[in-house]
Amino acid sequence: MVAMLEPELCEKGATIETVLDTPEGKRILTCIQCGMCAGTCPYGEYMDYPPRRIINMLRRGFIEEVFKSDSMLRCVACYACMSKCPRGIRLSDVLLPIVKEQTLINQPEIPAELQKTLQNTLRYGNPMGESSRKRVNWATANGTKVPIMAEIKRPVDVLWFVECYTAYYQRGQDNSRAVAKLFNALGIDFAILGNEEKCAGDCGQLTWESGLFETLTDYNMEIFKKYKFNRIVTGDAHAFNAFRIRYPMYGFNYPVEHTTGLFARCLPQLKPKLTKKLNYTVTYHDACCLGRRAGLYDEPRDLLLAIPGIKLVEMTHNRVNSICCGGGGGGMWLDTFFKQKGMERLSERRVKEAIATGADVIAVSCPYEIYRFEDALKVIPHDKPIIVRDVVELLAEALGD
Amino acid sequence: MYIPKKHEPVRIGFYICHCGVNIASMVDVKEVAKYVGTLPNVVVSRDYKYMCSDPGQEMIQQDIIENRLNRVVVAACSPMLHEQTFRKATEKAGINPFFFQMVNIREHDAWVHTDRLEATRKAMALARAAIQRVPLHKPLEVKKVAVHPNVLIVGGGIAGIHAALVLANAGKRVYLVERDPTIGGHMAKFDKTFPTLDCAMCVLSPKMAAVGSHPNITLWTYSEVAKVDGYVGNYKVVVRRKPRYVLEDLCTGCQECVEACVYKEPKFRDEFNLGLGKRKPIRLPFPQAIPPVTLIDPETCIELKSGKCKKTCLEACGDRKAIDFKQQEELREILVGTIIVATGYQIFDAKRTPYYGYGVYPNVYNALEVERLINASGPTNGELVMRNGQVPKKVAVIHCVGSRDENTNRWCSRVCCLYSLKLAHLIHERTNAEIVNFYIDMRTPGKGMEEFYNRLSEEGMMLVRGKVADVYPDPTDGTTGRLIVQAEDTLMSRILKIPVDMVVLSVGLEPHPDSDKIRRLFNMSCSSEGWFLERHPKLAPVSTFTDGIFLAGCCQGPKDIPDSVAQAGAAAAECFSLIDKGHIEQEPNTAFVVEKECSGCKSCIPLCPYTAISLLEDKKKAYINEALCKGCGTCVASCPSGSIVQNLFEDAEVFSEIEGLLAPVPV
Ligand SMILES: Cc1cc2nc3c(=O)[nH]c(=O)nc-3n(C[C@H](O)[C@H](O)[C@H](O)COP(=O)(O)OP(=O)(O)OC[C@H]3O[C@@H](n4cnc5c(N)ncnc54)[C@H](O)[C@@H]3O)c2cc1C
Ligand code: SF4
Ligand code: SF4
Ligand code: SF4
Ligand code: SF4
Repeated sequence: MVAMLEPELCEKGATIETVLDTPEGKRILTCIQCGMCAGTCPYGEYMDYPPRRIINMLRRGFIEEVFKSDSMLRCVACYACMSKCPRGIRLSDVLLPIVKEQTLINQPEIPAELQKTLQNTLRYGNPMGESSRKRVNWATANGTKVPIMAEIKRPVDVLWFVECYTAYYQRGQDNSRAVAKLFNALGIDFAILGNEEKCAGDCGQLTWESGLFETLTDYNMEIFKKYKFNRIVTGDAHAFNAFRIRYPMYGFNYPVEHTTGLFARCLPQLKPKLTKKLNYTVTYHDACCLGRRAGLYDEPRDLLLAIPGIKLVEMTHNRVNSICCGGGGGGMWLDTFFKQKGMERLSERRVKEAIATGADVIAVSCPYEIYRFEDALKVIPHDKPIIVRDVVELLAEALGD
Repeated sequence: MYIPKKHEPVRIGFYICHCGVNIASMVDVKEVAKYVGTLPNVVVSRDYKYMCSDPGQEMIQQDIIENRLNRVVVAACSPMLHEQTFRKATEKAGINPFFFQMVNIREHDAWVHTDRLEATRKAMALARAAIQRVPLHKPLEVKKVAVHPNVLIVGGGIAGIHAALVLANAGKRVYLVERDPTIGGHMAKFDKTFPTLDCAMCVLSPKMAAVGSHPNITLWTYSEVAKVDGYVGNYKVVVRRKPRYVLEDLCTGCQECVEACVYKEPKFRDEFNLGLGKRKPIRLPFPQAIPPVTLIDPETCIELKSGKCKKTCLEACGDRKAIDFKQQEELREILVGTIIVATGYQIFDAKRTPYYGYGVYPNVYNALEVERLINASGPTNGELVMRNGQVPKKVAVIHCVGSRDENTNRWCSRVCCLYSLKLAHLIHERTNAEIVNFYIDMRTPGKGMEEFYNRLSEEGMMLVRGKVADVYPDPTDGTTGRLIVQAEDTLMSRILKIPVDMVVLSVGLEPHPDSDKIRRLFNMSCSSEGWFLERHPKLAPVSTFTDGIFLAGCCQGPKDIPDSVAQAGAAAAECFSLIDKGHIEQEPNTAFVVEKECSGCKSCIPLCPYTAISLLEDKKKAYINEALCKGCGTCVASCPSGSIVQNLFEDAEVFSEIEGLLAPVPV
């Protein structure tokens, strides 16, 4: 089996000088220079220093050269190299974030789009620079009614961490409304943080803006302490990743679940409620943080197959071999940079595979993907209409009314 | 032999060894000798450069005589190495060898410490522990147990075959038990073998035939070992013989039944050809199968499934009357003195590395399938045609599939680099196809192997240093099933995407999934990976931790045919050494039950890892079979009434030893 990597924690504060002394760093010393990482990397052919070369430069004392190159900015933190590395080196967890931070520090200028995003996130608590007072608006508009921690003033079972894209952007809000509908249908006792919530910071840390990440972590941890709840559930694959892998090093120890994992667990109760037939042929795109990083390959597929009428088809690259949508590791805000470098957008590469399956729907489970794929579909020709839906949106649709 | 007289005062001689500088550099041996000389009962206390040398041993013997010593303690290396040496030396001078005690101050002390003072103190404590226990020792006797001359060999691959012939040719009676319907193992599936590129069956089939007809070999194929009882020299083994529905003594191997089967065409998955060909319900696995006896598969035979077949096979067999639909499983019991386990390996299931598309893309094959495809007796009569009916023009061979990988198997499978080169050569020879070998490191150890690599490189195959990351259909190709193989050429730092017609996965070797069951059956140990564990990686490579049970071939770890055969010869020699000596000596450190104290609670019985304990039904007392007891001490510690005593580890001995160990030392 391709190993589901342990959700091992990351060493707090490892730097390029100290990393080789940590237990995870010692694994780096075992690299056999096989090139699996470079070969599997979706942008490997555009990197002067793919993980393999980074490691050898590090071991030989030439790592400074790597930092001067902008090669590492191409890493979309997709965990492909880490999942297939035959030595089990935790590249995307441990080494690459450090290299990326140093790369950013050493660049004469940071790509403007990314720069702006990082500033926005620091200032407003969300990457798009929206007002933090508007974060809750989706939950109160159009008659939707979602309980908010500060208002209900009682402990809840599930604290639902909504996240930025799902709070501010139109298509993300669709996703959030679907989650709310499903929570209600299942009778789950839940509430959100509303305007008190700030970005969990996953992409901040994968672009390894460690300062920014820590600011956000400290903030969110304080808010969590204000309330009583049993577990955190989020529909954002990146927030899920941050809570699972990074937050524990700051003392976070709540159980966390992604909505697909939760709903898959609730399938016995959910399935009888999925009464509306959806006659779609669906192909599922594995989100990196859920699939490769957390081993959630079957759960979203089980959910889709539970919907009457849905036929599931697979893309050429699926499960551990899935190809990133290109949004991770800051890639969400590097499209212009990638274009300047003559790099194909990964969302376009992915959408081509989806089109080739003949599916009507690309099902996703990470909020970045909706935008990226819908955008890509605008430029990639296809004869048959194809739409992008979050798995939870399809579930909510199948609930009927 | 020295018989201690009652109340005779204990007179101990203590000797501490320098072991060159091994011990002396970390332990102040002179200080230790001086200190031990002050302890009660110690008559002489000396240090010496090499105690195990002849002068060292003579020194002990001389002291025994001159100083009337009746106990000897030597502080030196591990008892695993020299306990026997010193026991013999004391025995020669007239003392019971069990009045000798060894103290390990090398492996347990000098080699594992860095502080000389602390190490010296530890040596003193360890020595004193022995000085305190040795007065309590009792004279013991080494027992002799006869060794039954027959040998059981489990697994009829090249290793099992070779061991069987070596033993049988020397006149020993051998039982060879093979799980499959034929012997031959993996080698019987190969076309040619590296490094000589000689035809595999040309060298194997004469040996297989010799096994089949040897008067000293009882060959039981389609059989498995069901139970093993007993101990070295006297193993009682039960073998389960599955029904073939064809009687071995009556079948002539003419295969007229196969011809006559109501299925005109072969229709079912042919196991021997890994599903690449088809067979009938009645068949011979392959032309040179040994025994040359057909068998019927009950899953697909109409008669065996429903009793409603015309039984044309039976008709064809006629007066020979070899077909017997009523044949039942049989259990055979045999007595043997020694056992060789040679159960080999299985190939890695490439579905566990899904990114290579095995089982998804029809043009992706594993290496063993390719061996069959290029084999003249294989499903395509040796012509390399793929599932789509085409002959490949370009082929990628991917090394290390399921080897050297934390996500699958961590070890190097040792033979796949070489067989990859071999297959590349053979495929090129048959098809003129262009071959690309993707490797991480080219590993060609062994005699003639680097030369083989050198020779084949000259043929101009492309060798890319990089582990293949991805195999996927060529998006520009509609129908032929062409694939893209993607990898970094690490020597060029460039990503290659090479279109090929066929992909060969050089799958690694791994233990059988039932290796844990087999391990328990024969009371062996496994490494964490599941390979059977040898007693010592260098000095006892074919022995196991169970006396009289030996290993040969790939069940001990991946290896090539020459090494498998060499091991088989070594295992056979180990059997000879026991058989020809005729008996084995048993350590007397066994446990025994003090009957009057035993309450018959039976709690010790299931705990014994060697099943040495039983209940004497008449007396309702536990009884320990001395021949089976290995002196592990489990029962001794567990007996609620404390009624089990172990020789050399009696309570009083152990407690004085502990007291000696824990008392303060002077420095
Ligand atoms: C594709 C490929 C190509 C190779 N090419 C070469 C080559 O060219 N040259 C070379 O030197 N080496 C080659 N090798 C290695 C070679 O196969 C091994 O060295 C050799 O087969 C080992 O022999 P063995 O008897 O130990 O094991 P096996 O050949 O595996 O035989 C073991 C036998 O034991 C039987 N068995 C298993 N379990 C039981 C049980 N519980 N009870 C009874 N019987 C049992 C099996 O059915 C089998 O018959 C190659 C390997 C592979 C995978
Ligand atoms: S995949 Fe792992 S072992 Fe191979 S080169 Fe990359 S980091 Fe090194
Ligand atoms: S995490 Fe993904 S994008 Fe980054 S180096 Fe690894 S494979 Fe490439
Ligand atoms: S009984 Fe019938 S099906 Fe079975 S082997 Fe004989 S002829 Fe074939
Ligand atoms: S022998 Fe070669 S192909 Fe096989 S595991 Fe070792 S390095 Fe890999």
